[in-house]
Amino acid sequence: MAEIVCGNRATREINADIKQAIAAGDRDIVVKDPGARHNLGVAVLAPVRIRFTGSVGYYCAGLSDGPHIEIDESAGWGLAESMMNGEIVVRGSAGNGAAAAIRGGTVVIHGDAAARLGVSMKGGTVLVAGNCGYMAGFMGQKGAIVVCGDVGDAFADSMYETVCFVGGRVAGLGTDAIVETPSKEDAAWLDATLAQHLPQARKRGQDFQKIVAGRKLWNFDKREWKVWQEAL
Amino acid sequence: MCGIVGFFAKDGGGQAEIGQTIVGMLRALGCRGPDSAGVALYGAPDDGRFAVRVKLGDAGDLESRAHRIISRLESFSGVSHFSTIGAYARFLVSGDTDLKQLTNAIESLDKDVEVVSLGHSLEIVKQTGSPDNLEKTYCVSRMKGTHGIGHTRLSTESRVDLSHSQPFWSHGYPDLAIVHNGHITNYHQLRRRYEQHGVRFYTENDSEVVAIYLAQQISKGASLQEAFERMLRDLDGSYSCLAATERELGFVKDTFALKPLVMTETDKFVAVATEEIAIRAALPGQYSVREAQVREVRVWRR
Repeated sequence: MAEIVCGNRATREINADIKQAIAAGDRDIVVKDPGARHNLGVAVLAPVRIRFTGSVGYYCAGLSDGPHIEIDESAGWGLAESMMNGEIVVRGSAGNGAAAAIRGGTVVIHGDAAARLGVSMKGGTVLVAGNCGYMAGFMGQKGAIVVCGDVGDAFADSMYETVCFVGGRVAGLGTDAIVETPSKEDAAWLDATLAQHLPQARKRGQDFQKIVAGRKLWNFDKREWKVWQEAL
Repeated sequence: MCGIVGFFAKDGGGQAEIGQTIVGMLRALGCRGPDSAGVALYGAPDDGRFAVRVKLGDAGDLESRAHRIISRLESFSGVSHFSTIGAYARFLVSGDTDLKQLTNAIESLDKDVEVVSLGHSLEIVKQTGSPDNLEKTYCVSRMKGTHGIGHTRLSTESRVDLSHSQPFWSHGYPDLAIVHNGHITNYHQLRRRYEQHGVRFYTENDSEVVAIYLAQQISKGASLQEAFERMLRDLDGSYSCLAATERELGFVKDTFALKPLVMTETDKFVAVATEEIAIRAALPGQYSVREAQVREVRVWRR
């Protein structure tokens, strides 16, 4: 196991240490006292485990491909942004734009997520044990968003094929978002996914609403001008 | 960019290390705003008197300016503890002073003379440059008190000088100060409306209108909480904004959550900052930090 202490060192040095440890064959890396620094553990392209023993700042675990990264406290903006694959776990809360534009992998947030969770996702899964803020799922193209608590306003706005599940209240649906009855496959997937990543988060007998795109914005139709006026 | 910070001590009996905490937080956000740094610190009130801080000018013979201010203050009662440090003069004046008369007497001296802060417990110190330089010039970390706010500025649309730096005191309204990160996009419209009603703007910084807006709402009887809620309706653009009064600290986040702001609350303190790095740098210990939500308004009061 490699141990990296952040101390007063620059992010560039800490990230270089992480890369060096990986190159030396370490598969288990602990980074101590991250102090909410930005850009920690970006572009890790190997199936290693990295644990940050505090809070991290912006863009942690961005551009990942394959690692398992755990953050003991909270994360700032753009957590795991554009991740290709891997598993990113935050024990605390996440700032704006968590899991934005991910293409694969899983982001697990044990606390709350702020605004713009999982916007423009192109694959992968993001799971939130608590609540999420404003405009989650905006323009989501693929993948799944699961929020066990409440979701903020403009939820699932202007989506393509991202599928959302909400255990709590929806403050307001975004343009073209509709509630759909979950299929048996949906229920099975949700059970398995929550059991694997957030076994404590689901309340007993809690049902989830399924929210998807109504597909009204996928093609322009002059007869639906009213919908467009609202969307734009 | 810009960085904003706020700290509210729940204990310490008015003797918390406010200066040290706010400067410590600001240092961590120095890279978000290299143009200027400033603090608004709330000390223990001085038996009903007002503490006044005056910017003596942008350049020239500041000492002779100070002498001219002293002579103009002769017609006011209870003036004491006059001192000068850096670009500022500071003095105390009796609590029943006509504030309009006082500011007119001082500011009519020249157009670059400005009452930067006035209040029972408010002390604003700001200048161009880094938080380190602010500390070097004014030793702000020595100040003890109850709460405070701070700002590091990256100027986007207006001049870089002391007057355009933040925090802004709400001219005419004792003890109310604000810091703002963002843009107020209907600034010109609001400014025109206020100027038609005789309100003076001291700068071309859009953040100044936040201080004026909040002062107007509070003067009409709104609480700080209500004033922030009205601000969400009346001020357009992106903003994370902190405001403080003699007894309160609060924040508002805009209707699109476009600007960052994180907060933590323990049984000993409340800390709010643009980035968590500022809170972690200044405050050791175990606590959790979360991002403020869209349209969130919070006010803490002692």
